[in-house]
Amino acid sequence: MSATYTAAATLPEALAALASGARPVAGGTDLVVGARQGKAPLPDSLVAIHGLAELRGIAETGGGGLRIGALVSHADLVAHPAVRERYTALADASAIVGSHATRHVGTLGGNVMNASPAMETGGPLICFGAEAVLVSESGERRVAVADLLTGPGRTAARPDELLVAIELPAAAGGSCYARLEYRRQMEIAVVGATCAVTLEGARIGSARVAITALTPRIVRVPDAESALAGGDGGAGAVQAAGDAAAAAAQPISDVRASADYRRAMAAVIARRAVTAAIARARGSSDSVPIPASPALHGADRD
Amino acid sequence: MAVVEDTREQFIRQDGKDKVTGLGRYTADLARTGMLQARFRYSDHAHARVLRIDTSAAKALPGVFAVLTQDDVPDVRYGGFVEDRTLFAKDVVRFEGEVVAAVAALTQEIADRAVELIEVEYEPLPAIADPEQALAPGAPLIHEGWAGYGGNEDVVREGNDCSHSSIRKGDVDAALASADEVVKERYVADMSHAVPIEPRAIVAEWQGDKVTVWTSTQVPFIARSGVATTLQMPEADVRVVVPHLGGGFGGKCEFHFEAHVAALARAARRPVRLVFTRREEFVAPDHRREGQVLELETGVMKDGTIVARRARLVLDNGAYAADAPFFPQLAAMMAVGPYRVPHVSVDAHLAYTNTTPSGSVRAPTAPQSCWGLELHMDAVAERIGLDPVEFRRRNIVHPGDETATKQVLETIAAAESLERAVEMIGYGRELPPDEAIGVACGWWPTFALPSGAHVKLHGDGSGTIVTGAQECGTGSVMALPLLAAEVLGMRPQQFTVVYQDTDAGPWDAGASGSQTTTNNGRAVVEAAIDVRNQLLELAEEVLEAARADLELVDGRVRVKGSPSTGVDITELAEKAAGDKLLLGRGSGSPPASPDCDISGCTGRLGSESFLAPTFMTHAVRCKVDRATGVVRVLEVAAAHDSGRVLNPVGANGQVEGGVAMGIGMALSEGSQLSDDGRQLNPYLLDYKLQTAADVPEIRVEWVGEPDPTAGPNGAKAVAEPPCVPTPGAVGNAIAKVAGRVRCLPMTPMRVWEAMQR
Repeated sequence: MSATYTAAATLPEALAALASGARPVAGGTDLVVGARQGKAPLPDSLVAIHGLAELRGIAETGGGGLRIGALVSHADLVAHPAVRERYTALADASAIVGSHATRHVGTLGGNVMNASPAMETGGPLICFGAEAVLVSESGERRVAVADLLTGPGRTAARPDELLVAIELPAAAGGSCYARLEYRRQMEIAVVGATCAVTLEGARIGSARVAITALTPRIVRVPDAESALAGGDGGAGAVQAAGDAAAAAAQPISDVRASADYRRAMAAVIARRAVTAAIARARGSSDSVPIPASPALHGADRD
Repeated sequence: MAVVEDTREQFIRQDGKDKVTGLGRYTADLARTGMLQARFRYSDHAHARVLRIDTSAAKALPGVFAVLTQDDVPDVRYGGFVEDRTLFAKDVVRFEGEVVAAVAALTQEIADRAVELIEVEYEPLPAIADPEQALAPGAPLIHEGWAGYGGNEDVVREGNDCSHSSIRKGDVDAALASADEVVKERYVADMSHAVPIEPRAIVAEWQGDKVTVWTSTQVPFIARSGVATTLQMPEADVRVVVPHLGGGFGGKCEFHFEAHVAALARAARRPVRLVFTRREEFVAPDHRREGQVLELETGVMKDGTIVARRARLVLDNGAYAADAPFFPQLAAMMAVGPYRVPHVSVDAHLAYTNTTPSGSVRAPTAPQSCWGLELHMDAVAERIGLDPVEFRRRNIVHPGDETATKQVLETIAAAESLERAVEMIGYGRELPPDEAIGVACGWWPTFALPSGAHVKLHGDGSGTIVTGAQECGTGSVMALPLLAAEVLGMRPQQFTVVYQDTDAGPWDAGASGSQTTTNNGRAVVEAAIDVRNQLLELAEEVLEAARADLELVDGRVRVKGSPSTGVDITELAEKAAGDKLLLGRGSGSPPASPDCDISGCTGRLGSESFLAPTFMTHAVRCKVDRATGVVRVLEVAAAHDSGRVLNPVGANGQVEGGVAMGIGMALSEGSQLSDDGRQLNPYLLDYKLQTAADVPEIRVEWVGEPDPTAGPNGAKAVAEPPCVPTPGAVGNAIAKVAGRVRCLPMTPMRVWEAMQR
């Protein structure tokens, strides 16, 4: 039962460790908790990447987008003005991941690569058309986040590849990530939905809708998108988008909810995400981001 | 309306700084030289015959020092009410968390591995998870040898019915027949848990024939008896010490695993430590809150007068009796509630099932029974078109009224608690359509038990209280200095408390039944009076004054009417130090139970009358998200009658914590079970406690008068009552917006389903 843990000082050191079979650890919020709960044992060989400066920071890209380092924490995402203003759904999602402690140490890279169907940031990243930047000793490649997430706990990344950053293309309009919450803190998505829309005058231009925790991997809902695109964004369109989200869901029954409830909530939560995204596109600053803790964020959703 | 006030100085409890700064040491923090780590092998089935256990591979693993099964310990059946239990599984396992074997090894990892290497061969037996199914005719027996078990002869039991109690008063059939309306309903509460922050931990170390056990128990003396009984050794050879206790809420009442760890330490010839994981904390202990099925039937007149109550309650016992056999009688009392009901017929049964055993958790039976009854009360009010508060007003008990067991209630303020709570919340005000106010009333007894304390004064004038009482976080032990200081004319800060060590303090029932202030408080007052008399004797000589003319005030013994003539207590203490000892002792006789008449009733186990009963009303404002069924509690008003309140800061804290626990029971805390009795959510992500962000503003007020039958200066129970009415109040608020939800917890899905109907 020998286990090794090394802390990489440079990116090449980390890549070399991965090439020889080590698994990366940053915040450890999934890895350590999973091992403690007996979900998955700790890997025999771990390489810590928290010291890699090139994986930190949020920077503007030439094309008007953002490059977010894999080590950026959820708390940092919530606090970042560009994320809040232009990628609001990502701020919404980051604001409600786990607990305050989770958001402080948990990273965007970890959330993405853990590939849980209930991950909060997946829906927003897919709707924004985000790309994952994967690096290995043999070079760099880019994979759309939508293609990266291949199933529960599975990604298209090779074991020797490290996610170093997420790149977001330029975004206009408004967006929202909404989640069914049984309580106000320490929640996990049972039903989640993302919507990002652009406007063309008073009408909806393009629309993207994704559902979370309702399918084995987070997926977009084309029927919901077409129900919105080009329309007036009114109640009928919102209703149709919600119905499409429910139809696309493949809900299960377990301790968290029955399949019937999940499907019904898919429509409710999708409608809420769509409504907020449209309102935000039209200039509302309604709950940006959704406050995870009313006491700490100084607002009360009730 | 009389409101009990206490303007005395508020003081900081002795353990407070340790606990908030992280200096405090808990059992899992202890390390002894050469200490080993323990792990249990649990049963692989909820119900099975054990055919063979082979521990040879585990014993052969390097680093393993001891592997024990029932063959390695004395063949003793134990249990406070029913002796249905052995330390390790004997022949049959009856729930998923039953201990089959135990290992002590150098590291936790080796112990984990060794546990896996133990081979157990089973013959699976049909498992029963549903308590009603367990009582059905022809159900397989969970304890085939039940009739041969020893125990308390007052427990009325047969087969899977581990304890049956009934209350009979008047003629319920005739009264129901003559009622204007009869409302009959069924409610089901799921099992839930105490969930202390600290999972239990035990360290045992032997020296010769004597063992010291450090353990996270609420009841050190009962733990000591358990070790002595099961390992067949004299109690005098067992010392139980409790470091800081990280909460208990009843889950750490009773003897649990102290003997397993002591036996491991003896076999391994090394100190051994056991620390539970969170999953074990859910699955293994024989102390979770029992599920209940309540069938309630009420006869009522058009003017709102209740004429009769018939009820059948089935309580889910789990696989072993633990301390649950007194639950049926208590639940039967709760099913009548703090109301005048002239004709009563209630039967309550405690059904063995193949699940984790239930046991006392904060106000056992009451929050669930009260939830069912209070939702039923609103349903009855609705049937006759009466406002639910007005309906309660017309039936709630007043001084002089008689209970279902014909106890005449004396110093009570039930009606005042109702009026105050509805006033505090602004009952009847205009609210948005998705909000409503729900109200529920509850009651709870004060328990009289033997207890003891010593009070000593040192040469420097400081004092020490040596008590057998156990602090489980409520602050009741920490508040004992208030009582000693009051008697001795000193300041509470001048006293330290020595507690939680069975070799130091006198016997005490521990942190259970909200009994510490009532019983140990009485003992401390008596011990302090003993010291006071010794001081007065010394002062008589010094002041040349008769004892009757002396008083103790502000740290001095002085002559009444002549405050400048006196002597400092410090000076007397210094004088006594080299000569007489200033050492007081107190026990105080437990008050007798109030008179009652239970002719025709079954199963008399101590709850047939309520000594110094407490009364409480909660009024809560809730908001229901009609699309999702998610409920937020926005505001709670709690009006409690606990007699005299000794320590307002501590008492208010108990209500706030109890309400938070009650909201959890109302909305999110419940175990889901597989058909064969396994818990499906034994972890905190899916057994959802309320978080700090969920708990709303809680306003607390105290009503009532000091009760002369209760504890020191009229103090009644405080710690358990606050969680009793909350789930019912929340349920009644939900019902106004979404319809009545007849399952507890009232989860978003259940609220949503109620709205679909």
